[in-house]
Amino acid sequence: MMRCRKCATRLNLDFGVNFQAKIYVELVWTRAMMPVASHLMIHAIAMLEIKNLHARVEDKEILRGINLSVNAGEVHAIMGPNGSGKSTLASVIAGKSGYEVTEGSVEINGKDLLDLAPEERAAAGVFLAFQYPVEIPGVTNTYFLRAALNNVRKNRGEPELSMTEFMKHIKSKVQLMEMDNSLLSRSVNEGFSGGEKKRNEIFQMAVLEPTLAILDETDSGLDIDALKTVANGVNTLRSTDRAIVVVTHYQRLLNYIVPDFVHILMDGRIVKSGGKELALELEERGYGFIEEELAAKA
Amino acid sequence: MIDLKSGNHSLVENFELMKGLLATYGPDSFQVLRDRAFRNFSEFGIPTTKDEEFKYLSLRALEEGHFKPAYGATIDRFQVEQTIVGQVDAITVTFVNGEHAPELSSAHILPAGVFIGSIKDGLAVYEDKIVQHIGEIASLKNKLGTSNDERFVHLNTAYLSEGAFIYIPEGVSLERPIHLLFLTSANHGPLVSHPRTLIVLEENSDAKVLETYLGLDGVYFTNAVTEVSVGPNAILEHTKFQQEQADSVHIANISVNQAENSIYTSNNINFGGKIARNDVNVWLDGEHTETWLNGTSVGLGHQAIDNHTRIDHAKPNCNSFEVYKAILGGHAIGVFNGKIFVYEDAQKTDAKQTNQALLLSRTATINTKPQLEIFADDVKCTHGATVGQLREESVFYLQSRGIPKAEAEALLVYAFAAEVLLKITIPGVREILEKVLFEKLSTTQELPEFVET
Ligand SMILES: Nc1ncnc2c1ncn2[C@@H]1O[C@H](COP(=O)(O)OP(=O)(O)OP(=O)(O)O)[C@@H](O)[C@H]1O
Ligand SMILES: [Mg+2]
Repeated sequence: MMRCRKCATRLNLDFGVNFQAKIYVELVWTRAMMPVASHLMIHAIAMLEIKNLHARVEDKEILRGINLSVNAGEVHAIMGPNGSGKSTLASVIAGKSGYEVTEGSVEINGKDLLDLAPEERAAAGVFLAFQYPVEIPGVTNTYFLRAALNNVRKNRGEPELSMTEFMKHIKSKVQLMEMDNSLLSRSVNEGFSGGEKKRNEIFQMAVLEPTLAILDETDSGLDIDALKTVANGVNTLRSTDRAIVVVTHYQRLLNYIVPDFVHILMDGRIVKSGGKELALELEERGYGFIEEELAAKA
Repeated sequence: MIDLKSGNHSLVENFELMKGLLATYGPDSFQVLRDRAFRNFSEFGIPTTKDEEFKYLSLRALEEGHFKPAYGATIDRFQVEQTIVGQVDAITVTFVNGEHAPELSSAHILPAGVFIGSIKDGLAVYEDKIVQHIGEIASLKNKLGTSNDERFVHLNTAYLSEGAFIYIPEGVSLERPIHLLFLTSANHGPLVSHPRTLIVLEENSDAKVLETYLGLDGVYFTNAVTEVSVGPNAILEHTKFQQEQADSVHIANISVNQAENSIYTSNNINFGGKIARNDVNVWLDGEHTETWLNGTSVGLGHQAIDNHTRIDHAKPNCNSFEVYKAILGGHAIGVFNGKIFVYEDAQKTDAKQTNQALLLSRTATINTKPQLEIFADDVKCTHGATVGQLREESVFYLQSRGIPKAEAEALLVYAFAAEVLLKITIPGVREILEKVLFEKLSTTQELPEFVET
């Protein structure tokens, strides 16, 4: 079973299991609502495919029809005013409870994400660097990371790491992220400064090596040097088989993590997309000009 | 109160049966103790929830049960080695159903004057010390409090027999931990045992003791009493771990006397049993002492775990710190009663008490009662009690990193208990407790039921 990329219609075309997962079929409909076979087109599958996503918390609709397609190898930036729904989008992708998806779909590599438990999403390669990382007293960073990494590895069909192998893996990431070693033996995020928490998120990402990383305002709270280190950590992860989505308020971060696309999220919708210049334009003109554009269109 | 004077309850009948055998243990003074204790117990009987000190703990199972006296059981060494504590590296003294099992104990060369073995064997060397302390330390006579309830101590004393005895002479610092292992195997029907332990640390000595109560099979009643004398300047780390069988009753009293400048730490870990009750009583008999009472219990299913502690600040300038944590799921009932008495002379007392409960289900309950009675005016006493649930936010955070929900929850529960478990310094013990805890939590379906949003 697969869906048309444009219209989300399900198609019962069997290309064999492996093939099915790798392609998309685009159908062009005739007026009589009959698919025209000659218009069958094949696309590379997107890593993250969000279609017409509507989500609400209690009675409040927060996401009101998000469409976003992120391919492997790409970096996308999402910008938008406070309260526009950026963190909500990230939470829905990561599987946080309390959000009701009323319409639309989210897929990763063609696989429906919305039915999966958060840990299954992590196993599928999703990683969310939280805007507000949680403190977990009593669980040391090292213990936590080892449990996380071994679970992720198990799901990838890789063997668990011995303590020595694990420490070696950690050490290289500690160097990469210029982490203070003492943070490893402390409880997860407990008493960490704002900046330390953000750095710890990216450190976890470096350790877990996800295929889709969503960074929610990782730059806020970081000093200038830390920003460079964190950006460097993110850039190290950049590769043709990974995708990164950065949520930020500031163009500055995008000087270090240069995006392929910039999207503007307002009031639960992506209202404008463009290249990295869009971020510069925003920086200069604020969100007002977009509102005006939208008003002019309406 | 249940009337036992008619004599037809097994806990009473057994006494007549055992009388002859018991008389062969110890000096005449033991017989006097036994008789008096037996009279006391049969007069007051098994407590009910109408008794102040047992308000939240139903002992129906004891009332209705029939428990045979335990003797003559044997267990082979291999089976002991296979148990969760079988590999603890320590000077081990093993008891099976309350009886000393030298064949399961480990032999060690000990510093001069140190005795580690049974009370029965200890009498040959230190009769005066044993007679001086036994029954005395556990007594609440002349101590403050209106509802001092010593029934189960009396019941234990009535059956005083082999017991465990540790004696550390003046100035000896024992590196190697001591392990008192009380195993119960009741595969031939319900039985009762009354383990009795006496630990004496003389001036300037230092030791670490682990008391383990481990059930192997069957239904039974363990009624333990441990008396501890910590001499001037002495330091004792005393961990008690209880992992009784699921349908068993475990009642234990730990009574401690602390002399001046001594440091006593009690780590009281309760995972097993259907009904578990601990009384930890510390009498501060000299100035400048330090007392740490740490407790963790995990109750699931229909377990009831009741911890009563009392610290008698009878002398000035003493500090006590108490942290008791309870993890309760299913229909479990937890009780914490923490008494702190500050006597008239005990100026400059500093006592801090914390009690925290983590509820994993809607049907679990905790009854907490801090009870501070202060008769001095220049003291610092604080107590705090909290009840909480696992935080959904934290569970989600761990899940988002790939840790399955059940494991994430177990990890957070462990983290809650960690503060207490980290106090245990005997090598390997903390790891054992972690393992038992995780296993216990992973075999329950009750966990995800109740999470705070
Ligand atoms: N659990 C919730 N309960 C009630 N309202 C919520 C909840 N989560 C989000 N909201 C609301 O949804 C809207 C979008 O919030 P969200 O956190 O997604 O914004 P954001 O774009 O990330 O903003 P910021 O830039 O300030 O981080 C806000 O109005 C917020 O108050
Ligand atoms: Mg946000």
